[in-house]
Amino acid sequence: MKYKIIVITLCVFIAISCSPTKEEEQGVFPYEIHQAKLENGLNVVTVPYNSPGLASFYIVVRAGSRNEIEPGKTGFAHFFEHMMFRGTEKYSKEQYSEALKAIGAAANANTWWDRTVYHMTGNAGMLDKMFELESDRFMNLKYSEADFKVEAGAVKGEYTKNYSSPYMKLYEKTYNTAFTEHTYSHTTIGFWEDVVDMPNQYEYSLEFFNRFYRPEYCTIIVVGDVTPDKVDALAKEYFGSWEHGSYTQEIPKEPEQTETRYAHVQEKNFPPVLGLNYKDPAFSVENKDMAVLDVIGSIAFSEKSPIYKKLVVDERKVRQLDAGGLDMVDPGLWSVDAVLVNPDDMTEIKNEIEGVLEKLKTEPVDSADLAQAISHIKYNYAMDIDSPDAIANSLSWYTWLTGDPASVNKAYARYDNITPEDVMDVAKRYFVPQHLTVSTISADEEYVEPETLKTDM
Amino acid sequence: MKKLVYIFLISFSINALAQEVVELPMESNKVVVKLAFKNGSVTDPVGKEGLTNLTAALLSESGSDTYTKSEIDNLLYPMAASYGTFTDKEMTTITFQVHKDFADQFYEIIRSVLLHPSFAEQDFERVKSNTLVNITEVIKASSDEEFSKMALEEQLYAGTRYAHMKVGTADGIKAITRDDVVNQYKAYFTRNNVIIGIAGNYSQDFLSKIKTDINSLPDTQPDIPVVETPAMPDGIQVELVPKPNNLGTAIYTGYPLAINRASEDWAAMMVVNSYLGEHRKSYSKLYQLIREQRSMNYGDYTYIEWYQSGGSNQLPLTGFPRSQNYFAIWIRPVQTAYSLKSQYSELKDIETGQAQFALRMALNEIERVKNEGLTQEEFELTRQFLRSYTKLYIQTPDKQLGFLLDSKFYGLNNYISELDIALSKLTLAEVNAAAAKYLQTDNMYVTMITDKGEAEALKNSLLTNKVSPMSYSNVVRESLPEEVFNLDEEVEGLRINIKNVKVIPPEDLFID
Repeated sequence: MKYKIIVITLCVFIAISCSPTKEEEQGVFPYEIHQAKLENGLNVVTVPYNSPGLASFYIVVRAGSRNEIEPGKTGFAHFFEHMMFRGTEKYSKEQYSEALKAIGAAANANTWWDRTVYHMTGNAGMLDKMFELESDRFMNLKYSEADFKVEAGAVKGEYTKNYSSPYMKLYEKTYNTAFTEHTYSHTTIGFWEDVVDMPNQYEYSLEFFNRFYRPEYCTIIVVGDVTPDKVDALAKEYFGSWEHGSYTQEIPKEPEQTETRYAHVQEKNFPPVLGLNYKDPAFSVENKDMAVLDVIGSIAFSEKSPIYKKLVVDERKVRQLDAGGLDMVDPGLWSVDAVLVNPDDMTEIKNEIEGVLEKLKTEPVDSADLAQAISHIKYNYAMDIDSPDAIANSLSWYTWLTGDPASVNKAYARYDNITPEDVMDVAKRYFVPQHLTVSTISADEEYVEPETLKTDM
Repeated sequence: MKKLVYIFLISFSINALAQEVVELPMESNKVVVKLAFKNGSVTDPVGKEGLTNLTAALLSESGSDTYTKSEIDNLLYPMAASYGTFTDKEMTTITFQVHKDFADQFYEIIRSVLLHPSFAEQDFERVKSNTLVNITEVIKASSDEEFSKMALEEQLYAGTRYAHMKVGTADGIKAITRDDVVNQYKAYFTRNNVIIGIAGNYSQDFLSKIKTDINSLPDTQPDIPVVETPAMPDGIQVELVPKPNNLGTAIYTGYPLAINRASEDWAAMMVVNSYLGEHRKSYSKLYQLIREQRSMNYGDYTYIEWYQSGGSNQLPLTGFPRSQNYFAIWIRPVQTAYSLKSQYSELKDIETGQAQFALRMALNEIERVKNEGLTQEEFELTRQFLRSYTKLYIQTPDKQLGFLLDSKFYGLNNYISELDIALSKLTLAEVNAAAAKYLQTDNMYVTMITDKGEAEALKNSLLTNKVSPMSYSNVVRESLPEEVFNLDEEVEGLRINIKNVKVIPPEDLFID
């Protein structure tokens, strides 16, 4: 009975939330997405949204730490994001700061594995000025070598503040262990030695700008109290003369992992942590494997899962439990993470988790559980997109993942036809010990798994 | 920005059943409800520090007389509804957000938790254990920055009900029993100390149900203690917290500030604060001096009220209105000697890192602004920024509702719009008078989470006002203009009024 209610409600939700008139455009994203491509290849996306006087302006650069392929240059995409605030011929860094302050916007930028995003939310009446400032620095960035060297200290400061957390140390070590060739082996901020060496890389920074700060790598997204005509006209005016680049690169392929690996951080006076990190697929709207893994995370490890009720609520051996993977351009990691009460339970909890994963391979999940997990994922998304900034941020994900913000609807459509058989199939293919990296934090010098208890899957 | 006059934001209060209700009907696919209780860590009994937060946490982490926690998890899961509590010093907010499709179905479940919470023993033990490990281990190890803020408040508010963290102290949590939780719920989560806030796409029937239910909460008159005003410290009192092999020193300072959002001088101090150290903004003075010109850290900011989770939020959150404020300087981690020595051979002989110099630089600038004030141009630009920027605080239904509920705490109707009016009327003379009146550098508390290897040397250097030249690497030094070194020379020997420096190991903090 519960299942029926959910299915009916979900259908109502889909019908209500889709305002576009063309049937084929219907999907989870309820607003119209306008796209226009300038001659130089720059994609311009506009989503009118009822937010009187307010607009968000995003520029997505499809380059992040994944693109740092040369040795010694890890962390450079992120460092370069810092340099984008260091002025141009027209605006010195002081003038740029003043101009930004005068706009009164919430403006910032951030870098991640696959992309760098620059964003401003503010007065829609200032859109012209936003375009002017952004086009100037994206097309004409100019900073001195001295400024370059000084800014490197800020990146070191960022690393320093992050590195006080054992979780950050484990995050760095886990990716470094799980990946040997692919650039996901270093986190976005880069290796410490490369961060320390950054002031000496001025020439490389010019090359980096020349490579990626080009229209074919970038997308403009404007959401809020705006019209597509106005946005397109401003884009043409300010970005029309931006020259197309020519850089392409080959990202190193990660060889298939052949045995379980271990990443450990020693930390006294900290709750023990256990992570099981399996290689997962690249994001694709054509392939639903990642969507199936999302559903598995929900069904098998959320608050309503049997293992959560057993280990967290009833036995109180685990303080926190969750699972999931990031949507990434290349294959990444899908993880189950547990914070434990007692370090002596580490192996037992690992076996419990592996038992759940093993069961997924052989026993079909309940179809009501499946429907509920899909409902959860979709409603969660629908409630999140309630401001220009949140909408632009959401579309930025699909822009860097696929190049097309409208793929958000295809991405969510992947969940519609997931079957219990799909779940078994995905579990069999991805949850294998040779693709596993075990990550741990404990007071011990290293994590040693008792030989007799190793799971043979 | 005038157009940003929240067309859907029709705020009004209704006095029905003697209840205070803030309504924000608007076009939306969801309903947001906030129940703001006037209680908080100040209502924790002595010896049971953390009780109010634990009680609130259990409202979302245990079941009711109708459903267990597990049953509630099962029922709510497909709705993706969120339901959580947040306790600060003087307010606890229960917030739920649900898609309009599920509003009635969701509320039927939640009302049983609000009115008849089970506070089940096993949930009590679980949440209590997690809270304890958070106090004794997680806060001290996860972020030196957050740690420094909590340690600063413990110093600054010592002897008052504000001193302990909202999550409590180790001894306080250990002493709490399930009966204490039940009694705290009856005494402080009552119909007499709550405001109902509702935003989004809801029906009047839905609101009526909430009002009726809230009216059936205990009729107790909660005994809310008067919050004491903390004393101004005698000189600068420094607390060093050493940790092994720390790359950075995280610095947080504060001294009591006698104004809040309802005060006449608030808008003027908003301008002073924004000019000096607007949160996460590159155009403020401290950021430019310490990060941008000298490459010392990730950012430097000032505050005239509490800013929740500043490391992860660019814009302020709601739910922590306070009658007591302090002027704070947040200097993000600067390099320790341990870190610098490992990077640069030219710095191999240093005994301390950059903490003392960073503190001197910040205090020097605050003293300058106190004495010189802002120019007309600086005032106009900062005001223009704030009049636009503060409207961005309320971009979502949740934020709009939260700021309105916080407004009520201060006796205001709508803080954001009233602040804008006050900013529009400000003069440069008022701003500079406020700077002269409220800024000072003689008396304050300072907390530094630093490296164990330099704690004693740093203590001695601070106590003796030893000259602390900035330890630039050669690669940075050769890139800096002359004016940077000129100011450095003035600042490195700046006499600051340090009266006491104590070194406290992390394990000795937040105990009782």
